[in-house]
Amino acid sequence: MIRTVDVKKEYKGGIKALDGVSIDIEKAEFVFVVGPSGSGKSTFLKLLTKEEEPTGGEVYVAGKNLQSLPRWRVPYLRRNVGCVFQDFKLLPNKTVFENVAFALEVIGRPKVVIQRQVPQILELVGLGEKLDRFPDELSGGEQQRVSIARAFVNRPLILIADEPTGNLDPATSVGIMRLLDRINKTGTTIVMATHDHAIVDSMRRRVIELEGGHVVRDQTRGIYGVGG
Amino acid sequence: MSSATRQEVSTGSADSGALMRRIGYYVRETLTNLRRNLLMTIAAMSTVAISLLLLGGVQILGMIVNNVTLSWEAKVEISVYLLDSATQNEIKTLETDISQMDEVEDVTFVSKSQAFEEFKKLYDDQPEFYESLPRDALPASLRIKLTDAAFTEEVASRIEGAPGVDEVKFGGEIIKRLLQVNALLRTITFAMSLILMVAAAALIANTIRLAIYARRDEIGIMKLVGATNWFIRIPFMLEGVFAALLGALVAGGIVLLVNSLIFSRIGEAITFLGPVFSFSAGEMMGVLGMLGLVGAVVGLIGSGMALRRFLEV
Repeated sequence: MIRTVDVKKEYKGGIKALDGVSIDIEKAEFVFVVGPSGSGKSTFLKLLTKEEEPTGGEVYVAGKNLQSLPRWRVPYLRRNVGCVFQDFKLLPNKTVFENVAFALEVIGRPKVVIQRQVPQILELVGLGEKLDRFPDELSGGEQQRVSIARAFVNRPLILIADEPTGNLDPATSVGIMRLLDRINKTGTTIVMATHDHAIVDSMRRRVIELEGGHVVRDQTRGIYGVGG
Repeated sequence: MSSATRQEVSTGSADSGALMRRIGYYVRETLTNLRRNLLMTIAAMSTVAISLLLLGGVQILGMIVNNVTLSWEAKVEISVYLLDSATQNEIKTLETDISQMDEVEDVTFVSKSQAFEEFKKLYDDQPEFYESLPRDALPASLRIKLTDAAFTEEVASRIEGAPGVDEVKFGGEIIKRLLQVNALLRTITFAMSLILMVAAAALIANTIRLAIYARRDEIGIMKLVGATNWFIRIPFMLEGVFAALLGALVAGGIVLLVNSLIFSRIGEAITFLGPVFSFSAGEMMGVLGMLGLVGAVVGLIGSGMALRRFLEV
Protein backbone atom coordinates (compact mmCIF):
# COMPACT_ATOMS: atom_id res chain seq x y z
CA MET A 1 0.00 0.00 0.00
CA ILE A 2 2.85 2.37 0.90
CA ARG A 3 6.45 1.88 -0.11
CA THR A 4 9.37 4.24 0.14
CA VAL A 5 12.76 3.47 -1.37
CA ASP A 6 15.78 5.26 0.04
CA VAL A 7 13.82 8.48 0.44
CA LYS A 8 15.76 11.66 1.20
CA LYS A 9 14.39 15.06 2.02
CA GLU A 10 16.57 18.08 2.45
CA TYR A 11 14.89 21.40 3.15
CA LYS A 12 16.24 24.70 1.93
CA GLY A 13 19.08 25.71 4.24
CA GLY A 14 20.53 22.22 4.26
CA ILE A 15 18.39 20.67 7.01
CA LYS A 16 18.18 16.92 6.36
CA ALA A 17 14.76 15.76 7.53
CA LEU A 18 14.95 12.31 5.98
CA ASP A 19 18.14 10.54 4.98
CA GLY A 20 17.55 7.27 3.22
CA VAL A 21 14.25 5.93 4.54
CA SER A 22 12.97 2.64 3.08
CA ILE A 23 9.66 1.42 4.47
CA ASP A 24 7.02 -1.05 3.29
CA ILE A 25 3.51 -0.85 4.69
CA GLU A 26 0.91 -3.46 3.74
CA LYS A 27 -2.78 -2.93 3.21
CA ALA A 28 -4.80 -2.77 6.47
CA GLU A 29 -1.70 -2.34 8.61
CA PHE A 30 -1.68 -0.02 11.63
CA VAL A 31 1.70 1.64 11.93
CA PHE A 32 3.04 4.02 14.56
CA VAL A 33 5.83 6.35 13.51
CA VAL A 34 7.67 7.49 16.63
CA GLY A 35 10.74 9.52 17.43
CA PRO A 36 11.79 12.81 18.98
CA SER A 37 10.78 16.17 17.53
CA GLY A 38 12.70 16.88 14.36
CA SER A 39 13.30 13.20 13.64
CA GLY A 40 11.42 13.48 10.35
CA LYS A 41 8.01 12.02 11.30
CA SER A 42 5.91 14.84 9.89
CA THR A 43 8.05 15.12 6.78
CA PHE A 44 7.58 11.41 6.16
CA LEU A 45 3.79 11.76 6.39
CA LYS A 46 3.78 14.80 4.12
CA LEU A 47 5.56 12.86 1.39
CA LEU A 48 2.66 10.41 1.30
CA THR A 49 0.16 13.09 0.22
CA LYS A 50 2.66 14.86 -2.00
CA GLU A 51 2.50 17.89 0.25
CA GLU A 52 6.28 17.75 0.14
CA GLU A 53 8.47 16.36 -2.61
CA PRO A 54 11.44 14.13 -1.70
CA THR A 55 14.86 15.30 -2.83
CA GLY A 56 15.87 11.70 -3.46
CA GLY A 57 14.45 8.19 -3.61
CA GLU A 58 10.97 7.02 -4.51
CA VAL A 59 7.56 7.04 -2.85
CA TYR A 60 4.75 4.69 -3.89
CA VAL A 61 1.24 5.14 -2.54
CA ALA A 62 -1.61 2.84 -3.56
CA GLY A 63 0.50 1.47 -6.40
CA LYS A 64 1.47 4.84 -7.84
CA ASN A 65 4.90 6.39 -8.06
CA LEU A 66 4.30 9.88 -6.66
CA GLN A 67 7.33 11.35 -8.44
CA SER A 68 5.83 10.65 -11.82
CA LEU A 69 2.31 11.64 -10.77
CA PRO A 70 1.34 14.82 -12.63
CA ARG A 71 0.21 17.82 -10.58
CA TRP A 72 -3.37 17.60 -11.73
CA ARG A 73 -3.62 14.00 -10.47
CA VAL A 74 -2.59 14.99 -6.93
CA PRO A 75 -6.18 15.83 -5.83
CA TYR A 76 -7.25 12.33 -6.90
CA LEU A 77 -4.41 10.80 -4.87
CA ARG A 78 -5.54 12.75 -1.82
CA ARG A 79 -9.06 11.40 -2.13
CA ASN A 80 -7.59 8.01 -1.30
CA VAL A 81 -5.56 9.30 1.64
CA GLY A 82 -7.46 10.76 4.59
CA CYS A 83 -5.59 13.11 6.91
CA VAL A 84 -6.02 13.85 10.61
CA PHE A 85 -3.94 16.49 12.38
CA GLN A 86 -2.96 17.50 15.88
CA ASP A 87 -4.76 20.83 15.44
CA PHE A 88 -7.87 19.26 13.81
CA LYS A 89 -7.91 21.75 10.91
CA LEU A 90 -11.67 22.18 10.96
CA LEU A 91 -13.27 25.14 9.21
CA PRO A 92 -14.46 27.43 12.00
CA ASN A 93 -17.26 28.98 9.95
CA LYS A 94 -18.82 25.67 8.98
CA THR A 95 -20.94 23.42 11.18
CA VAL A 96 -19.95 19.87 12.09
CA PHE A 97 -22.20 18.53 9.34
CA GLU A 98 -20.84 21.00 6.78
CA ASN A 99 -17.23 20.27 7.72
CA VAL A 100 -17.71 16.60 6.95
CA ALA A 101 -20.03 17.18 3.96
CA PHE A 102 -17.35 19.46 2.52
CA ALA A 103 -14.99 16.51 1.95
CA LEU A 104 -17.68 14.83 -0.13
CA GLU A 105 -18.79 17.96 -1.95
CA VAL A 106 -15.31 18.75 -3.18
CA ILE A 107 -15.06 15.34 -4.83
CA GLY A 108 -18.44 15.81 -6.49
CA ARG A 109 -20.61 13.37 -4.54
CA PRO A 110 -24.37 13.82 -5.11
CA LYS A 111 -26.40 15.57 -2.44
CA VAL A 112 -28.43 12.46 -1.59
CA VAL A 113 -25.25 10.55 -0.86
CA ILE A 114 -23.99 13.39 1.33
CA GLN A 115 -27.29 13.62 3.21
CA ARG A 116 -27.11 9.90 3.96
CA GLN A 117 -23.41 9.35 4.59
CA VAL A 118 -22.54 12.35 6.74
CA PRO A 119 -25.01 11.64 9.58
CA GLN A 120 -23.96 7.97 9.40
CA ILE A 121 -20.27 8.69 9.85
CA LEU A 122 -20.95 11.28 12.56
CA GLU A 123 -23.07 8.67 14.36
CA LEU A 124 -20.12 6.29 14.06
CA VAL A 125 -17.72 8.75 15.71
CA GLY A 126 -20.28 9.48 18.43
CA LEU A 127 -21.40 12.95 17.33
CA GLY A 128 -24.81 12.07 15.92
CA GLU A 129 -26.43 14.69 18.13
CA LYS A 130 -24.12 17.59 17.30
CA LEU A 131 -24.49 18.02 13.55
CA ASP A 132 -25.38 21.70 13.74
CA ARG A 133 -22.72 22.80 16.22
CA PHE A 134 -19.77 24.91 15.17
CA PRO A 135 -16.25 23.62 15.95
CA ASP A 136 -15.63 26.19 18.71
CA GLU A 137 -18.69 24.84 20.57
CA LEU A 138 -17.07 21.40 20.86
CA SER A 139 -14.41 19.93 23.17
CA GLY A 140 -11.00 19.02 21.75
CA GLY A 141 -11.87 15.34 21.63
CA GLU A 142 -15.11 16.06 19.82
CA GLN A 143 -13.34 18.26 17.30
CA GLN A 144 -10.85 15.48 16.62
CA ARG A 145 -13.75 13.09 16.06
CA VAL A 146 -15.18 15.48 13.48
CA SER A 147 -11.83 15.65 11.75
CA ILE A 148 -11.59 11.83 11.72
CA ALA A 149 -15.12 11.65 10.34
CA ARG A 150 -14.09 14.07 7.59
CA ALA A 151 -10.96 12.06 6.77
CA PHE A 152 -12.85 8.76 6.68
CA VAL A 153 -16.20 9.71 5.17
CA ASN A 154 -15.23 8.86 1.60
CA ARG A 155 -13.62 5.60 2.71
CA PRO A 156 -9.99 6.30 1.80
CA LEU A 157 -7.55 3.41 1.41
CA ILE A 158 -5.14 5.07 3.81
CA LEU A 159 -5.62 7.26 6.87
CA ILE A 160 -2.69 9.42 7.94
CA ALA A 161 -2.73 10.84 11.45
CA ASP A 162 -0.10 13.34 12.59
CA GLU A 163 -0.15 13.40 16.39
CA PRO A 164 -3.94 13.14 16.54
CA THR A 165 -3.89 12.93 20.35
CA GLY A 166 -1.23 15.59 20.82
CA ASN A 167 -3.70 18.16 22.13
CA LEU A 168 -5.94 15.79 24.06
CA ASP A 169 -5.99 14.48 27.62
CA PRO A 170 -5.28 10.74 28.17
CA ALA A 171 -8.91 9.67 28.66
CA THR A 172 -10.03 11.45 25.50
CA SER A 173 -7.04 10.04 23.64
CA VAL A 174 -8.13 6.50 24.46
CA GLY A 175 -11.48 7.21 22.83
CA ILE A 176 -9.80 8.54 19.70
CA MET A 177 -7.54 5.49 19.50
CA ARG A 178 -10.53 3.15 19.80
CA LEU A 179 -12.08 4.99 16.88
CA LEU A 180 -8.92 4.68 14.77
CA ASP A 181 -8.73 1.02 15.69
CA ARG A 182 -12.29 0.47 14.45
CA ILE A 183 -11.48 2.27 11.21
CA ASN A 184 -8.38 0.09 10.80
CA LYS A 185 -10.54 -3.03 11.20
CA THR A 186 -12.55 -1.98 8.11
CA GLY A 187 -9.36 -2.58 6.12
CA THR A 188 -8.06 0.98 6.07
CA THR A 189 -4.30 1.32 6.37
CA ILE A 190 -3.39 3.70 9.21
CA VAL A 191 -0.09 5.53 9.61
CA MET A 192 0.08 7.54 12.80
CA ALA A 193 2.91 9.73 14.05
CA THR A 194 2.89 10.15 17.82
CA HIS A 195 4.79 11.08 20.95
CA ASP A 196 2.36 9.30 23.21
CA HIS A 197 4.12 6.38 24.99
CA ALA A 198 1.01 5.08 26.72
CA ILE A 199 -0.93 4.75 23.52
CA VAL A 200 1.80 3.01 21.56
CA ASP A 201 2.50 0.64 24.45
CA SER A 202 -1.15 -0.31 24.92
CA MET A 203 -1.93 -0.89 21.22
CA ARG A 204 1.03 -3.20 20.51
CA ARG A 205 1.16 -2.49 16.78
CA ARG A 206 4.00 -2.08 14.33
CA VAL A 207 6.34 0.71 15.42
CA ILE A 208 8.77 2.51 13.14
CA GLU A 209 11.20 4.73 15.00
CA LEU A 210 12.93 7.60 13.24
CA GLU A 211 15.91 9.49 14.51
CA GLY A 212 17.87 12.13 12.63
CA GLY A 213 16.13 11.13 9.42
CA HIS A 214 17.01 7.43 9.67
CA VAL A 215 14.87 4.42 10.56
CA VAL A 216 16.46 3.17 13.77
CA ARG A 217 13.83 0.53 14.62
CA ASP A 218 11.01 -1.31 12.85
CA GLN A 219 9.16 -3.69 15.18
CA THR A 220 6.05 -5.68 14.34
CA ARG A 221 4.34 -5.56 17.73
CA GLY A 222 6.33 -2.81 19.30
CA ILE A 223 6.26 -0.38 22.18
CA TYR A 224 7.34 3.26 22.26
CA GLY A 225 10.86 2.88 23.62
CA VAL A 226 13.08 -0.17 23.47
CA GLY A 227 12.67 -2.00 26.78
CA GLY A 228 10.60 0.95 28.05
CA MET B 1 -5.55 -0.98 -8.96
CA SER B 2 -8.32 -0.57 -6.51
CA SER B 3 -7.59 3.13 -6.19
CA ALA B 4 -7.63 3.52 -9.96
CA THR B 5 -11.01 1.82 -10.29
CA ARG B 6 -12.43 4.06 -7.59
CA GLN B 7 -11.36 7.15 -9.51
CA GLU B 8 -12.70 5.89 -12.79
CA VAL B 9 -16.07 5.40 -11.15
CA SER B 10 -16.13 8.91 -9.73
CA THR B 11 -14.89 10.76 -12.82
CA GLY B 12 -16.59 8.52 -15.33
CA SER B 13 -20.06 9.40 -13.99
CA ALA B 14 -19.72 13.07 -14.97
CA ASP B 15 -23.08 13.42 -16.71
CA SER B 16 -25.38 16.42 -16.92
CA GLY B 17 -26.67 15.65 -13.43
CA ALA B 18 -23.14 15.97 -12.06
CA LEU B 19 -22.71 19.25 -13.89
CA MET B 20 -25.93 20.70 -12.49
CA ARG B 21 -24.90 19.51 -9.05
CA ARG B 22 -21.57 21.21 -9.44
CA ILE B 23 -23.11 24.50 -10.58
CA GLY B 24 -25.51 24.24 -7.65
CA TYR B 25 -22.55 23.78 -5.33
CA TYR B 26 -20.72 26.79 -6.76
CA VAL B 27 -23.73 29.07 -6.42
CA ARG B 28 -24.57 27.89 -2.90
CA GLU B 29 -20.95 28.08 -1.79
CA THR B 30 -20.56 31.58 -3.24
CA LEU B 31 -23.68 32.93 -1.56
CA THR B 32 -22.91 31.29 1.78
CA ASN B 33 -19.38 32.62 1.77
CA LEU B 34 -20.47 36.13 0.79
CA ARG B 35 -22.84 36.11 3.75
CA ARG B 36 -20.47 34.54 6.26
CA ASN B 37 -17.59 36.78 5.25
CA LEU B 38 -19.82 39.83 5.18
CA LEU B 39 -17.16 42.23 6.40
CA MET B 40 -14.75 41.21 3.66
CA THR B 41 -17.53 41.36 1.09
CA ILE B 42 -18.34 44.90 2.17
CA ALA B 43 -14.67 45.87 2.16
CA ALA B 44 -14.16 44.50 -1.37
CA MET B 45 -17.40 46.06 -2.52
CA SER B 46 -16.63 49.54 -1.22
CA THR B 47 -13.08 49.38 -2.59
CA VAL B 48 -14.49 48.60 -5.99
CA ALA B 49 -17.16 51.30 -5.62
CA ILE B 50 -14.65 54.00 -4.70
CA SER B 51 -12.15 53.01 -7.38
CA LEU B 52 -14.81 52.88 -10.03
CA LEU B 53 -16.35 56.13 -8.86
CA LEU B 54 -13.02 57.85 -9.49
CA LEU B 55 -12.83 56.19 -12.87
CA GLY B 56 -16.40 57.22 -13.65
CA GLY B 57 -15.61 60.77 -12.57
CA VAL B 58 -12.73 60.97 -15.00
CA GLN B 59 -14.90 59.52 -17.74
CA ILE B 60 -17.51 62.22 -17.12
CA LEU B 61 -14.76 64.83 -17.10
CA GLY B 62 -13.70 63.46 -20.47
CA MET B 63 -17.27 63.76 -21.72
CA ILE B 64 -17.45 67.37 -20.52
CA VAL B 65 -14.20 68.17 -22.34
CA ASN B 66 -15.65 66.52 -25.40
CA ASN B 67 -18.83 68.57 -25.19
CA VAL B 68 -16.84 71.78 -24.78
CA THR B 69 -14.80 70.88 -27.84
CA LEU B 70 -17.90 70.13 -29.85
CA SER B 71 -19.54 73.41 -28.94
CA TRP B 72 -16.38 75.29 -29.89
CA GLU B 73 -15.96 73.44 -33.10
CA ALA B 74 -19.56 74.09 -34.07
CA LYS B 75 -18.76 77.79 -34.09
CA VAL B 76 -15.71 77.49 -36.30
CA GLU B 77 -16.36 78.81 -39.78
CA ILE B 78 -14.32 79.76 -42.82
CA SER B 79 -15.35 82.92 -44.59
CA VAL B 80 -14.36 83.16 -48.25
CA TYR B 81 -14.64 86.82 -49.34
CA LEU B 82 -15.34 87.20 -53.01
CA LEU B 83 -13.97 89.79 -55.39
CA ASP B 84 -16.51 92.36 -56.57
CA SER B 85 -15.42 91.39 -60.04
CA ALA B 86 -16.29 87.69 -59.53
CA THR B 87 -18.78 86.43 -62.10
CA GLN B 88 -21.92 84.48 -61.23
CA ASN B 89 -20.32 81.51 -62.95
CA GLU B 90 -17.16 81.70 -60.88
CA ILE B 91 -19.17 81.89 -57.66
CA LYS B 92 -21.34 78.95 -58.69
CA THR B 93 -18.30 76.80 -59.56
CA LEU B 94 -16.56 77.73 -56.34
CA GLU B 95 -19.62 76.87 -54.27
CA THR B 96 -20.02 73.43 -55.88
CA ASP B 97 -16.31 72.70 -55.63
CA ILE B 98 -16.27 73.55 -51.95
CA SER B 99 -19.43 71.66 -51.13
CA GLN B 100 -17.94 68.56 -52.75
CA MET B 101 -14.96 68.52 -50.38
CA ASP B 102 -15.12 65.67 -47.84
CA GLU B 103 -14.32 67.93 -44.92
CA VAL B 104 -17.09 70.40 -45.69
CA GLU B 105 -20.46 70.03 -44.07
CA ASP B 106 -22.23 73.06 -45.43
CA VAL B 107 -21.63 76.12 -47.67
CA THR B 108 -23.83 79.20 -47.60
CA PHE B 109 -23.67 82.13 -49.98
CA VAL B 110 -23.92 85.53 -48.28
CA SER B 111 -24.69 88.33 -50.74
CA LYS B 112 -23.53 91.93 -50.35
CA SER B 113 -26.96 93.01 -49.11
CA GLN B 114 -27.21 90.10 -46.66
CA ALA B 115 -23.78 91.00 -45.30
CA PHE B 116 -24.93 94.60 -44.88
CA GLU B 117 -28.08 93.48 -43.02
CA GLU B 118 -26.00 91.36 -40.65
CA PHE B 119 -23.64 94.24 -40.06
CA LYS B 120 -26.60 96.49 -39.32
CA LYS B 121 -27.99 94.03 -36.82
CA LEU B 122 -24.59 93.64 -35.14
CA TYR B 123 -24.23 97.37 -34.58
CA ASP B 124 -27.89 98.04 -33.97
CA ASP B 125 -27.14 100.47 -31.11
CA GLN B 126 -24.48 102.39 -33.02
CA PRO B 127 -26.21 103.43 -36.29
CA GLU B 128 -23.37 105.84 -37.13
CA PHE B 129 -21.29 102.80 -38.16
CA TYR B 130 -23.52 101.67 -40.98
CA GLU B 131 -25.41 104.85 -41.89
CA SER B 132 -22.37 106.23 -43.60
CA LEU B 133 -21.76 103.01 -45.56
CA PRO B 134 -23.11 102.34 -49.03
CA ARG B 135 -25.22 99.14 -49.12
CA ASP B 136 -22.63 97.38 -51.26
CA ALA B 137 -19.60 98.31 -49.19
CA LEU B 138 -19.27 94.83 -47.73
CA PRO B 139 -18.07 91.99 -49.98
CA ALA B 140 -20.17 88.96 -50.76
CA SER B 141 -18.85 85.73 -49.23
CA LEU B 142 -19.18 82.00 -48.90
CA ARG B 143 -19.45 80.66 -45.36
CA ILE B 144 -18.13 77.17 -44.84
CA LYS B 145 -18.99 74.84 -41.99
CA LEU B 146 -16.59 71.96 -41.56
CA THR B 147 -17.18 68.43 -40.27
CA ASP B 148 -14.15 68.82 -38.06
CA ALA B 149 -12.46 72.06 -37.06
CA ALA B 150 -9.09 70.38 -37.41
CA PHE B 151 -9.31 70.68 -41.19
CA THR B 152 -9.74 74.49 -41.12
CA GLU B 153 -6.28 75.43 -42.28
CA GLU B 154 -6.08 72.76 -44.93
CA VAL B 155 -9.42 73.65 -46.49
CA ALA B 156 -8.65 77.37 -46.30
CA SER B 157 -5.36 76.96 -48.14
CA ARG B 158 -7.04 74.91 -50.86
CA ILE B 159 -9.57 77.67 -51.55
CA GLU B 160 -7.07 80.50 -51.48
CA GLY B 161 -6.20 81.81 -54.93
CA ALA B 162 -9.20 80.24 -56.66
CA PRO B 163 -10.75 82.45 -59.34
CA GLY B 164 -13.07 85.09 -57.83
CA VAL B 165 -11.65 84.70 -54.30
CA ASP B 166 -10.37 87.82 -52.62
CA GLU B 167 -9.50 86.59 -49.17
CA VAL B 168 -10.02 83.50 -46.99
CA LYS B 169 -10.50 84.17 -43.31
CA PHE B 170 -10.83 81.94 -40.29
CA GLY B 171 -10.04 82.02 -36.61
CA GLY B 172 -6.44 81.08 -37.36
CA GLU B 173 -4.27 81.10 -34.26
CA ILE B 174 -7.23 80.96 -31.89
CA ILE B 175 -8.60 77.82 -33.48
CA LYS B 176 -5.17 76.25 -33.43
CA ARG B 177 -4.85 77.01 -29.72
CA LEU B 178 -8.30 75.68 -28.93
CA LEU B 179 -7.60 72.50 -30.81
CA GLN B 180 -4.29 72.07 -29.03
CA VAL B 181 -5.91 72.61 -25.64
CA ASN B 182 -8.63 70.13 -26.51
CA ALA B 183 -6.17 67.53 -27.68
CA LEU B 184 -4.19 68.01 -24.49
CA LEU B 185 -7.27 67.72 -22.29
CA ARG B 186 -8.33 64.57 -24.11
CA THR B 187 -4.90 63.02 -23.67
CA ILE B 188 -4.92 63.94 -19.98
CA THR B 189 -8.33 62.43 -19.31
CA PHE B 190 -7.40 59.32 -21.27
CA ALA B 191 -4.16 58.94 -19.31
CA MET B 192 -5.99 59.52 -16.04
CA SER B 193 -8.55 56.88 -16.99
CA LEU B 194 -5.79 54.40 -17.72
CA ILE B 195 -3.95 55.15 -14.49
CA LEU B 196 -7.14 54.95 -12.46
CA MET B 197 -8.10 51.69 -14.14
CA VAL B 198 -4.77 50.14 -13.21
CA ALA B 199 -5.01 51.59 -9.69
CA ALA B 200 -8.55 50.27 -9.32
CA ALA B 201 -7.43 46.84 -10.51
CA ALA B 202 -4.54 46.80 -8.05
CA LEU B 203 -6.70 48.01 -5.18
CA ILE B 204 -9.44 45.50 -5.87
CA ALA B 205 -6.99 42.63 -6.36
CA ASN B 206 -5.35 43.56 -3.06
CA THR B 207 -8.63 43.57 -1.17
CA ILE B 208 -9.51 40.21 -2.63
CA ARG B 209 -6.07 38.90 -1.70
CA LEU B 210 -6.68 39.97 1.89
CA ALA B 211 -10.07 38.27 1.87
CA ILE B 212 -8.49 35.10 0.54
CA TYR B 213 -5.57 35.30 2.94
CA ALA B 214 -8.08 35.30 5.78
CA ARG B 215 -9.35 32.00 4.42
CA ARG B 216 -6.05 30.30 3.52
CA ASP B 217 -6.78 27.52 6.05
CA GLU B 218 -9.97 26.73 4.24
CA ILE B 219 -8.10 26.48 0.95
CA GLY B 220 -5.44 24.29 2.56
CA ILE B 221 -8.09 21.91 3.86
CA MET B 222 -9.85 21.82 0.51
CA LYS B 223 -6.57 20.79 -1.08
CA LEU B 224 -5.97 18.13 1.58
CA VAL B 225 -9.32 16.44 1.06
CA GLY B 226 -8.62 16.27 -2.67
CA ALA B 227 -10.39 19.25 -4.19
CA THR B 228 -9.08 20.18 -7.63
CA ASN B 229 -7.72 23.70 -8.09
CA TRP B 230 -10.60 24.81 -10.31
CA PHE B 231 -13.10 23.49 -7.83
CA ILE B 232 -11.53 25.73 -5.19
CA ARG B 233 -11.03 28.66 -7.52
CA ILE B 234 -14.48 29.02 -9.00
CA PRO B 235 -16.44 30.00 -5.85
CA PHE B 236 -13.71 32.50 -4.92
CA MET B 237 -13.74 34.00 -8.38
CA LEU B 238 -17.54 34.18 -8.42
CA GLU B 239 -17.36 35.93 -5.06
CA GLY B 240 -14.84 38.37 -6.47
CA VAL B 241 -17.02 39.10 -9.49
CA PHE B 242 -20.15 39.40 -7.39
CA ALA B 243 -18.57 41.81 -4.89
CA ALA B 244 -17.06 43.82 -7.74
CA LEU B 245 -20.38 44.01 -9.57
CA LEU B 246 -22.10 45.19 -6.39
CA GLY B 247 -19.41 47.86 -6.09
CA ALA B 248 -19.89 48.84 -9.74
CA LEU B 249 -23.62 49.09 -9.11
CA VAL B 250 -23.04 51.47 -6.20
CA ALA B 251 -20.57 53.55 -8.26
CA GLY B 252 -22.95 53.62 -11.21
CA GLY B 253 -25.83 54.67 -8.99
CA ILE B 254 -23.83 57.58 -7.61
CA VAL B 255 -22.79 58.64 -11.11
CA LEU B 256 -26.42 58.62 -12.27
CA LEU B 257 -27.52 60.49 -9.18
CA VAL B 258 -24.87 63.19 -9.64
CA ASN B 259 -25.86 63.49 -13.28
CA SER B 260 -29.56 63.93 -12.66
CA LEU B 261 -29.29 66.02 -9.49
CA ILE B 262 -26.33 68.27 -10.25
CA PHE B 263 -25.31 68.32 -13.89
CA SER B 264 -28.75 68.60 -15.41
CA ARG B 265 -29.60 71.39 -12.95
CA ILE B 266 -26.45 73.31 -13.82
CA GLY B 267 -27.46 72.92 -17.46
CA GLU B 268 -30.93 74.29 -16.74
CA ALA B 269 -29.74 77.15 -14.54
CA ILE B 270 -26.86 78.35 -16.70
CA THR B 271 -28.08 78.08 -20.26
CA PHE B 272 -24.77 78.44 -22.07
CA LEU B 273 -23.37 75.56 -20.01
CA GLY B 274 -26.35 73.38 -20.92
CA PRO B 275 -24.76 71.55 -23.84
CA VAL B 276 -21.57 71.08 -21.84
CA PHE B 277 -23.30 69.26 -18.98
CA SER B 278 -25.85 67.26 -20.89
CA PHE B 279 -25.03 63.68 -21.79
CA SER B 280 -27.06 61.40 -23.97
CA ALA B 281 -28.51 58.21 -22.52
CA GLY B 282 -26.09 56.31 -24.73
CA GLU B 283 -23.11 58.12 -23.26
CA MET B 284 -24.31 57.44 -19.71
CA MET B 285 -24.89 53.76 -20.53
CA GLY B 286 -21.38 53.68 -21.97
CA VAL B 287 -19.91 54.94 -18.70
CA LEU B 288 -22.01 52.59 -16.57
CA GLY B 289 -21.27 49.65 -18.84
CA MET B 290 -17.57 50.37 -18.63
CA LEU B 291 -17.70 50.56 -14.82
CA GLY B 292 -19.52 47.22 -14.68
CA LEU B 293 -17.15 45.60 -17.13
CA VAL B 294 -14.01 46.88 -15.43
CA GLY B 295 -15.43 45.79 -12.06
CA ALA B 296 -16.29 42.29 -13.24
CA VAL B 297 -13.05 41.70 -15.12
CA VAL B 298 -10.94 43.05 -12.28
CA GLY B 299 -12.90 40.99 -9.74
CA LEU B 300 -12.40 37.86 -11.81
CA ILE B 301 -8.73 38.35 -12.59
CA GLY B 302 -7.96 39.79 -9.16
CA SER B 303 -9.37 36.83 -7.29
CA GLY B 304 -7.89 34.34 -9.74
CA MET B 305 -4.43 35.85 -9.37
CA ALA B 306 -4.70 36.25 -5.62
CA LEU B 307 -5.56 32.55 -5.29
CA ARG B 308 -2.51 31.30 -7.15
CA ARG B 309 -0.18 31.52 -4.18
CA PHE B 310 -2.49 29.63 -1.87
CA LEU B 311 -3.08 26.78 -4.27
CA GLU B 312 0.58 25.76 -4.27
CA VAL B 313 0.26 22.99 -1.70
